[in-house]
Formats: sequence, structure tokens, C-alpha cells
Amino acid sequence: MREEALKRALVWLGAAGTLLFCLGPIVYMVLIALAQSPDFPGPGRGFEPTLKHLAAVALRPSLHFWDYLGNSLIVSAASAGLCLLVAAPAAFALSRLDLPGRLVILFAILAVSMFPPVSLVSLLFKMMTALGWINTYPALVLPYVAWVLPLSLWILASYFGQIPRDLDRAALIDGCSSWQILRRVIVPLAGPGLFSTGLLAFIFAFNEFLLALMLTTDHQARTIPVGAALFQGLHGQTPWGEIMAFACLAVLPAIGLTVAFQRRVIHGLTRGAVRG
Amino acid sequence: MFRRRFILIALIALVLLSGCGRSGEKVLTLAVGGAPKEIEVWEAALARFEAETGIRVSLIRQPTDTAQRRQGLVVPLQAGQADPDVFLMDVAWLAQFAASDWLAPLDEFMAQGGLDRSVFFERVLALADVLQDRLVALPMNLDGGLLYYRADLLEKFGLPAPPRTWAELVRQALLVQEKLRPERPGFYGFVWPGAQYEGLICVFLEFAASNQAARLIEGGRVRLNTPANLAALSLMRDLIGKFKVSPPNTYSAMKEEEVRLQFQRGDALFERNWPYAWGLHQAPDSPVRGRVGLARLPHFQGGRSASTLGGWHLGLSRFSESQPEAWRLIEFLVSAGTQKRFALELGWTPGRRDVYTDPEVLDRLPHFRELKDVFENLRPRPIVPYWSQVSTVLQRRLNAALGGGCSPEEALRLAEAEAGAVVERYAGR
Amino acid sequence: MRAHSARELAGAYVYLLPVLAFVLVFILAPVLGAFRASLFQDVTFLPRKFIGLDNYLRLAETPVFWTSLRFTCLFVLISVPLEIVLGLLVALVLDQPLPFRAALRASVLIPWAVPAAVSGRIWELIYDYNLGLANALLGWLHLGQGPVNWLGSGWGAFFSLVLADAWKTTPFVALILLAGLAAVPDELHRQGEVDGASFVQRFFRLTLPLLRPILVVALLFRTIDALRVFDLIFVLTGGGPGGATTSLSLYGANFFLAGDFGFGSAVSVVLFLLALGLALVYVRAGRFREGLG
Repeated sequence: MREEALKRALVWLGAAGTLLFCLGPIVYMVLIALAQSPDFPGPGRGFEPTLKHLAAVALRPSLHFWDYLGNSLIVSAASAGLCLLVAAPAAFALSRLDLPGRLVILFAILAVSMFPPVSLVSLLFKMMTALGWINTYPALVLPYVAWVLPLSLWILASYFGQIPRDLDRAALIDGCSSWQILRRVIVPLAGPGLFSTGLLAFIFAFNEFLLALMLTTDHQARTIPVGAALFQGLHGQTPWGEIMAFACLAVLPAIGLTVAFQRRVIHGLTRGAVRG
Repeated sequence: MFRRRFILIALIALVLLSGCGRSGEKVLTLAVGGAPKEIEVWEAALARFEAETGIRVSLIRQPTDTAQRRQGLVVPLQAGQADPDVFLMDVAWLAQFAASDWLAPLDEFMAQGGLDRSVFFERVLALADVLQDRLVALPMNLDGGLLYYRADLLEKFGLPAPPRTWAELVRQALLVQEKLRPERPGFYGFVWPGAQYEGLICVFLEFAASNQAARLIEGGRVRLNTPANLAALSLMRDLIGKFKVSPPNTYSAMKEEEVRLQFQRGDALFERNWPYAWGLHQAPDSPVRGRVGLARLPHFQGGRSASTLGGWHLGLSRFSESQPEAWRLIEFLVSAGTQKRFALELGWTPGRRDVYTDPEVLDRLPHFRELKDVFENLRPRPIVPYWSQVSTVLQRRLNAALGGGCSPEEALRLAEAEAGAVVERYAGR
Repeated sequence: MRAHSARELAGAYVYLLPVLAFVLVFILAPVLGAFRASLFQDVTFLPRKFIGLDNYLRLAETPVFWTSLRFTCLFVLISVPLEIVLGLLVALVLDQPLPFRAALRASVLIPWAVPAAVSGRIWELIYDYNLGLANALLGWLHLGQGPVNWLGSGWGAFFSLVLADAWKTTPFVALILLAGLAAVPDELHRQGEVDGASFVQRFFRLTLPLLRPILVVALLFRTIDALRVFDLIFVLTGGGPGGATTSLSLYGANFFLAGDFGFGSAVSVVLFLLALGLALVYVRAGRFREGLG
């Protein structure tokens, strides 16, 4: 049927287009990182591969790449971990303890996640200054936990909601308290859900920019996004090769995690938006 | 499960606590900018400092852009951080830092160390480094806008000397541009920084002052919408749009480095830039090595050449926990020996007078003789703590006029109104 | 499990305490702090003092504020529908049985995973006048008359930003919509086919109405995100040229970075109220609950 053939053609075209659109800039980034000179697409230039940009970024301590990466990984992991610790009991309570007003609470927390980060900076800066925490990990981890909590809560509540109530009842009959139910029944079963949520929290914390820009001052606590934004290379004049090399190395964790766990990520994201 | 939870909690606690108490060896931090080759020279200087005094200095490399450098310092200083101990400040926002009480006074240190103010350019010191009779900064280098030109091209096309007036510059630029375009399609007669940033204001002031324009901010009032300024701004716009001797992305992308690179590639006849470009143009791998001349900037008919005071000054953080050691670093950096090295290796124009008469320096950098006179008469931008805010307003409007987004008349009118509002807001009621 | 007694109820609320504490201290308090700070003159080189609504009055007199506001609203109005439509198209493609579907899905996720600041630098190079891919492509394909100054004009920079933002956020929209598409039962499709409806008809009459709740959710998330856009603009255009692409977030942040907390807070409060207002509008008019059960 002609319509079928047309549809097939369109779908393939769409797939190719999507692939090109999504991966094009990434491929470009990698090529520039490996190219001797960044204007190789231009007329009269060729592509000469070189590893010197990657080597420069990875090996020169004054460029601080590993500091940024380390800071990002530690801050994101701590934020995600703490977020799970805090969100799991709350999600448990909201999804199975029939609390009055729980929908209001859920909505309120979701509303809170919509606040623009720039509105938080003023007091957070003063707070962290007063505590002497500017340019340290706590200055980032604590706000990040609050930042990723709403979405994590929604996702976890959705996952927890999937677990049949009969198990709870069985445990109740066995004489467990609600805390024990959470620990012994829910958490083991919701393992994949916890993982998805933690993964998403990690990625969101990793990619956060505004607070990191305002609350850190140098490589001791700066994260990858800020490092990338302010990266100047060794010589100051826009060294595209090195910038792209930095970018390549910088996106490896995020891309690696996402590709490796894409089902988990997608699952988590859609749960955050779709109920049930 | 419990054990895993505890490990998780312990890890998190460790992370949170590791943030506090980052003490250790006494190491000074020095925040500098990063034009090409700078970092190596800084590192060498700091190595010498450590050898002499045993004090280690950690170098913080800031972005090249002056606004970003300011941002990078404002955050730690506002937070009362001990790091960086010593930092470089653009003379444009020195006043803000001084007025915000972030700089430790240096008078006592100088008296103890026997360093005399007269060693430096007095006028610069008095204008920029002294706040309420206290010395709070010392010049690391001075900058003044200069005209670089391709001596070989002028000779080739029978032009006897670099232009004295702007009209002459346009004429010369058009001539050479026409001749060279066929073989070099990217060639432009005159490259200058016109992007929306502080540098644009420096350039504008040079045009305007060379047309006898009055001071921008006088007695708490902004005087911008004047015929002299209008002529200056119109000329700048015409260079791009009408005469087309300046590239179309002058107003969108051209800052110091972009300008320098275009000239160094051989794609420009005239360049307006700071003195630092000289060393790079003369580098062994520079295509224009040995073919570059330096001159004062042109002026309008009836005016005089003007050069905006720029440059970077060393400040000592009031929050530094090692002020005596930090002072020794500053002392070292402004010493004749170090300043001479920066001049010889980077082409930097020092804040000290004696380097300009050093025979070795004059041998390598003969233009220093001329520069000394230029530097005695540099024109500062308004020295007020809120200059950055005023500058931001001006930058937007002037840049819009350059890009053709609005007429020069309207740009100046609006800029004056907005700058007036800023002055009113910040002039300390 | 029903919590009957007051004690059980209290115990249940205890589970919520940590979350509420975090949200209170690190989100609600800062927002209130912003409100308060906006009532003060808080500049590093001037003594701090209470000035009431003065900051807001001056804000209203500052043309750049209105430019930022206009830009932000325009950005939302143009980029969000674009991303929804693109996301829908991508979701439709992903919904089809294709070989390498998993790989396709993974590749769609990658732009979402990349930090916005990093993607900003990539696009900064793509749009570069002398060296960028965009102009190189124009040259290869012999389109237009020479290189385009993408980031040099107000509209050029605007659409460059929109494209770069769409690259980053379309995956999120696509995935949400994909989940919605997957929820459309196959029988409905087959029924439609049997009834002789074409694909297009089926799409508009069947699929789209069922997708509506999800679309509203996607619309809400994207609108709020577009309203507070910062990372991309900071890196790609820095708010230029001439302040033409300064979003409210960037406008406010610049004041913080310059040491003027009072004024910056005022800007951030305006943005906050805008976001709040929009969220309320959606929640009421969009039958939000439908999408979330």
C-alpha cells in the first residue's frame, strides 16, 4: 500500500534526522578535540588527527580538569545518596500511609521545584558565607539535595505505589512497624526504582550550573559545568581544540551513565511525568 | 541493608566534613589573567620568588575577559575568603574593590620595605591606587591604547608615515585594502575591539577624547550626549558600516585577542590594541614579525591623540591570612628586576618609571622611549566605585549603535539617561 | 494501611520531616530571603539600608529590564512549542518498530545528559563566525552570500539560542510523550485502521486527544524551564549582542556577580513571581490532575 510505504519512508527519514540532530554536535565536538586545527571543515583545510588537546587537558595540572571532575563526581554522588536517604521514607509515607493532605504536599513540593535558581542565590550565598562554606562541598551538596528532592520524591512515590499493598499487610500481621516495613519489604523490592531515582538525581546534580557558579570560587570545589564555561585553555585565545577536548572528557560520565542505564533513566523520567 | 545505609551516611558525612577546615601548609594564592605566554612567565617569576624567600605561591588562572576576572574575584571577596591572597585588578574596577573595603592598605608595608612611591608613575598612583589617602594597590603594568601598523605595507604602497588624523587613517586603510583584497579576501584596514565589553569603552574614550570631548562623569553628572562624542561614535560606526575598513563582526566578536590575531595573521593594516600585543607580534612564529610599527593613536582635526589608561594593579586581600608574606610577593612583583623581565619577555609596560630608561630594555624595546611620554598623560576612565555599572550601560548602547541597531544620536541620548540613573542610584545617598 | 490514631499519624509525618526540612531551609527560606533582600540597598561599596520598593521602581525605569523580560517571554513562546512539536515527532519515530530502536533511544538521550554549559561551548563553536560548522556548512552547500554572523545580530542570536536549547531539551519532551504514546492501546489503532482511517486521521482524532494530559505536563515542565534559562545563554552569548539575549535569570545573576545583591534579588523576585503565576495558570486551566492521576 502506498500509504504504508510512504509512512515507512517518513519514519526512516525521521530516524535518520533524529540521529543526525542528536549526535551531530557530539561527533563534531569529538572531531574538533582530535583535530590539529579547528577550522578543518573550512575550505582548503584538512583533518589532521592529534591527541595533543586531550593530552593537554588531561595532563596539565594548571587546567584543573581532574579537580573539576572529582568535585563533580563527589558532589553529585553525595547529593544523590543523601537525597535517596531523605526521599525514601517520605515517598513511603506519601504513597502508602494514607496521610491526609498528601496530594497537597506532593503538589507543593513539586511546585517548589519550579522556583528559579537565581531566586535562591542571594540568601544561599549569605548563608554559606556566614558558615564559611563558600567553595566547599557542603555549599553545593545541601542545596542540591533540596534541588533534586521534589522530582526524586515524585518518582519514588510512583515506584513505591506499584508495590502491592498485600505485602504490607502480611508484614503488619507479622508484627512489623511501618519503619520495618519500609526497610524490609519496600526498599528491597523497589531496588530498581531507587537506582533509577538515584541515577537521575546524580545527573541533575552533575549538570547544575548557576548555584555552582555562585557558591564556588576555584578548582577546590568547582564543578565540571562551571569549569567548562570558564575554560580558557593554556593560552587564553579561544583554544577550541582544548575546549572541545575538555568537553569530551567532561561528558564521558554523563553519557556513559545514560547509555549504560538508558532503560532506568527513561523509566525514571517518565514516571516523574506519568502516573502509573 | 542497615550496614549499607550506615556506610552511605558515613560517606556523606565525610564529604560534608571534608569541606570544612582546608588548612595545611602556608601557601599564597595569586590570581592572574591569561593572555598567551603569560602563564609561563608568571610561573618562572614565582619559582624565583620561592627560591628567594621559600614562600610557595599557587597560581590561579582567571579567564582573559576582564568582566569575568572581576566576577571571579567579587565572589570570594564578598564571601570574605582568604584566597586569593594577592590578585590583579583592572584599573577600571579597582575603585569598586577599594570602596568595598576589600583591599589591605599598603602604606605601612611600603614604609617598612623602604619602597618609595616616586618609583612609580605618580599620576597613575594618585588617580587609581589611592583611596581616601591610603595606598591600596600598586601597578603591575600600565596600558594605553596604541596604534600598531604594518610598516612594510605602508612602505610598499608609498605611504610615508602612519596617520595623524582619523580621516587620514581611513584614507590609508581604504587604499591598501583595495590593493590587497584580491589576494587576501579577509584583509581589513583597521581592526579594533568593538565587542560589547569594557574594551569598547576604552576605545570610545580614545576617539572621543581625541575630539576634545569632556569628561564623562563630572560632579556626579553624566555628560555623554555632546557633539564631540557624537562625532566619535559616528566615526566608529562608519568604520564598520560605511567605509567598511573594519570587519563586520567588530561589534559582535572583536576583543583584544581577536584583534591581535587578525593583525598577526597579516589580515590588517592598522590595529588598535594595548602594549601587550607587541611581544606577541614579534614572536618567532609570528607572520608579521619585524614588520610592525607603533604609533600614537590618531585624533580628530583640532584635537590631540588620546590613550585610555588601562592596566592591572596588584591588591592584597584584606581577608588574607598571610599578609606579611603576601606583601613580600607584591614587593617582589613590582621590583625593578621582575618588572624588567616582564617587559623583556612579554612586552609588558611596567608601572615603574625606571624600567623605561634601562638600556637593555630600550635596546630590545625601543618604543618604550615614546611610551614613557604617552604614559605620563594617559586618560583614565571615571574613577568611581560604580564604574562597572555605568560601563555596562554604556557598553550596551554604544555597541548597539556600532551594529546599526540604533542611531548614534539615540544611543548617546539613551546612554546618558541610563548612566545618569545609575549614578543617582549608586552615588551614596 | 490506614493510620488511625493520632500517634500513628504523627509517626507517619515524621517520615516527611527530613524532606520538609531540606525544602524549607534550602529552597523556601532562600526565596523569602530574596524577597527581603530586594527591599534593601545592598551593594558592596555602600552601607546596607532599607529602601522599601525602591529597587523595583528603579527596575521599572531601566530599559534593560524590560528588554530582558521581553526576551524571556519571547524565548518561552517560541522555543517551547518548537520543542513540543519536535519532541512529538521524535516520539512518533521512536514509537515505531525499528531495528536499532534501543540505540536510537540512547542517542536521543545523550543531548539531555550533557551539561548545558558544555553544550553551550559546542554550539558556541558551531556558530563561530570564522571557524564554525554552521558557516562551513553554508559554504559547502553554497547557500547564502558568505558567512553569517549568527551570534552577531539580535534575531540571529535569538534563534541560535532556540536551536541550541531545542537540541538539549527535545529528548526530555520526546521521552515523556513516548511514554504517553505507549499507553495508547493497540486495539484503538487497529480499530481505526479497520474503519478505514488514514494514519494522519488516526493521529489527530485518536492519539492526540489521548496524549493531551501528557502534553500538558510536558508543556508545564518545559515552560518553567525555559523561563529560567541561564546556563546556555551565559556560555553561548553572554547575554549579547547588546543585551539582546539577556534572560531574566542572567540579568539578575549579573548583579550578584557585580556585588549588588539588592537589585539582583529584585530581578529574581520578579522572575519567581512570573514562574509562580505561570504554574498556577497551568494547574488551573490545564487539568493538570488528569495527567497525574
